[in-house]
Amino acid sequence: MEDRPLEYDYSVTRLFMMNTIFVGIVGMLVGVILAWQMAYPELNTFLGEGLAEYTNFSRLRVLHTDSVIYGFVLSAVWASWYYIGQRVLKVSMAESRTLMILGKLHFWIYFAASAIIVVSLLMGITTSKEYAEFEWPLDLGITIIWLLWGAGIAGLIAIRREKTLYISIWYFIATFLAVAMLHLFNNLEIPTYFGSGGIGAWYHSVSMYAGTNDALVQWWFGHNAVAFVLTTPIIAMIYYFLPKESGQAIYSYKLSLLAFWGLMFVYLWAGGHHLLYSTVPDWVQTMGSVFSVILILPSWGSAINMLLTMKGEWQQVAASPLIKFMIMGSTFYMFSTLEGPIQAIKSVNAIAHFTDWIIGHVHDGALGWVGFMVVAAIYHMAPRLFNREIYSKSLMAAQFWIQTLGIVLYFTSMWIAGITQGMMWRAHDEFGNLAYSFIDTVEVLHPYFTIRAVGGTLYLIGFIMFAYNIYKTTSAREVEASELQNASPMGA
Amino acid sequence: MSIAELQAYGYVVALVFLTVALYAYIYHLYTKRKDSDGHDYEEYSNMALKDDITDTPVSEKPKKK
Amino acid sequence: MFHWLEKNPFAFAVVVIVTIAFAGLVEIVPHFAQQARPVIGTTPYSTLELAGRHVYIKNSCNACHSQLVRPFKSETDRYGDYSLSGEYAYDRPFLWGSKRTGPDLMRVGNYRTTDWHENHMKDPASVVPGSIMPAYGWMFVNEADIDTSYAEQLTVAKFFGVPYNKPVPMKDGSTKIIKMGATVEEARAMALAEAKLITADMKNQDVKDAVENGKIPEIVAIIAYMNSLK
Repeated sequence: MEDRPLEYDYSVTRLFMMNTIFVGIVGMLVGVILAWQMAYPELNTFLGEGLAEYTNFSRLRVLHTDSVIYGFVLSAVWASWYYIGQRVLKVSMAESRTLMILGKLHFWIYFAASAIIVVSLLMGITTSKEYAEFEWPLDLGITIIWLLWGAGIAGLIAIRREKTLYISIWYFIATFLAVAMLHLFNNLEIPTYFGSGGIGAWYHSVSMYAGTNDALVQWWFGHNAVAFVLTTPIIAMIYYFLPKESGQAIYSYKLSLLAFWGLMFVYLWAGGHHLLYSTVPDWVQTMGSVFSVILILPSWGSAINMLLTMKGEWQQVAASPLIKFMIMGSTFYMFSTLEGPIQAIKSVNAIAHFTDWIIGHVHDGALGWVGFMVVAAIYHMAPRLFNREIYSKSLMAAQFWIQTLGIVLYFTSMWIAGITQGMMWRAHDEFGNLAYSFIDTVEVLHPYFTIRAVGGTLYLIGFIMFAYNIYKTTSAREVEASELQNASPMGA
Repeated sequence: MSIAELQAYGYVVALVFLTVALYAYIYHLYTKRKDSDGHDYEEYSNMALKDDITDTPVSEKPKKK
Repeated sequence: MFHWLEKNPFAFAVVVIVTIAFAGLVEIVPHFAQQARPVIGTTPYSTLELAGRHVYIKNSCNACHSQLVRPFKSETDRYGDYSLSGEYAYDRPFLWGSKRTGPDLMRVGNYRTTDWHENHMKDPASVVPGSIMPAYGWMFVNEADIDTSYAEQLTVAKFFGVPYNKPVPMKDGSTKIIKMGATVEEARAMALAEAKLITADMKNQDVKDAVENGKIPEIVAIIAYMNSLK
């Protein structure tokens, strides 16, 4: 052991990577089931009347969002952290026993908590707060998992050889700090079992905030959970993987620093755009609206920086499906960070809020930007983790086009559905009476729900192709480490 | 002074401060171009490109024993 | 000049915290200095209604139904008066929702009846042809958790001063007292008495029998909750 040259240690990365693929399939499958249930409601009992309670839309809906956000995406973020962190700090996990133990604990406690969360959500144990549905015992568990990650970050930074922190590390640190803050404040709650002196369910709790205040804190959380789980760590990933895979330096490192501070400052204000025309104070709503529009600047700062990194090297986009995923991801990032601010304008929001347009927006970000970046990150890491070439380049290209088609079907159908429904809700006849009953506005959506379900299914099929490709990669042709400098080796 | 007034003053002061700080930072980046160690900021891209454990760090951390 | 920021991880972390916490400090914290004042006529939930609210949450009804009427003519025509902040004073958590796959339920108690809900939860399309809402058959079988509901009442009364057993002003100038049991046995008995008022308007014999035998199926609790939304 002592004689061998020092190498990066990817054992924790491998664990998180496998979990990403596994939970990705589960979470997306649940999403596809939900999509078909909305088009064909009889599918709510697809496992029979007896199990209807657990196959019902309302129970699965929570499972879908939480497993995709906190299962699929967070696992990928952590896989990337345990990979990028070592490399840009130029220090190996193998150099510290403590860091290895922390990393493994981090994974296994997270894995166990995920299993408990799946069961509890299916049983209907939820606080109802979106993306913070977990009851207090699980909230405590999440806090421990988060602190384990934080300790890992601090430890690795403490023993680093590279003095300056690379921009990806900035984004990882911001992710850690912001989610910690959001999680702690949004989940302040009193367990009723203790509050009442031992009556009722032990796991039940009641929020510290009531009504409008509760909504304000929840959407400050909800909006920024999106920011700091689905945006900042993904930017951290692309700032490493795109330059590395293409062999190109970041177009402007200075711009990446500016965009970072802009994003940090502006993002947190925009939560109010989830509460337009609600009972929260008017100035908070206006602030949410205005800052959402300003948010275009730092978002596009990063996205343009990514696209320009490929300046003079665009032939790589044609040649490498891996680069295609990242460039398409950046493009979807630009697209959804323009779409979001448009929806946050008050008069647009009056139509868009409560409709499927919002669902479409979330998914062009989640499928196009986050999903594609996760896929690209794993394709880049896999050859280096296993010293193998990627099993099939053509399978990868096929996956890319199938998934892209899936996303396009998804968001176009949801745009039409959302705007149609929003307009029908407000339509009046010549006497000033409502023109449509609510059920009219549901029935009209059937074709769009079906198209969306097809789009989602295509995306899932692409993801299963991806899982197969990675699985075969573990036994593909071995490569020499020296070949792995930039572009990942791929088999036919 | 009511809490709303305090809030308003606090908001303005903090906003002005952060804006000035951000623009000072932009000015610093684009006029100095180099950080205090004499590294051009753009060199830091190499942290990703040359990241083998045997590569030399862009700005080495002083060894303390 | 900015050297300390770029190369000192601790200083960096502090600056990030200040930058991200700023928005929350300005936008959110000051509102907590102001207690949410209930509007006149808003009452705390009874034990059975609160148990029904838990059933609503357990089945994520809020994933498809909002409880927030926005101040537009099209919304007030369809759902009734637009929402006021004080109407949510006793809502922990808030249940505004973020998606209307189904209609808003803020004031559903004004225009739907026990009988309507009973049929609708058993088979939504039988009442609303074309509905894509799933059926909730298990609510007719599963028992509502009255004890946890009572525990929550005790907790909010103790920690947040929610006025149980105290006069609450009503719109007509009178006052109303929402009672809370002194013991868990009393709370159960009160919930059962309230449940019997609901089942009097219901047809399902199994549910009626269960209540006669001292059990409260979830459907009774959630109907009590629905009827309280006005």
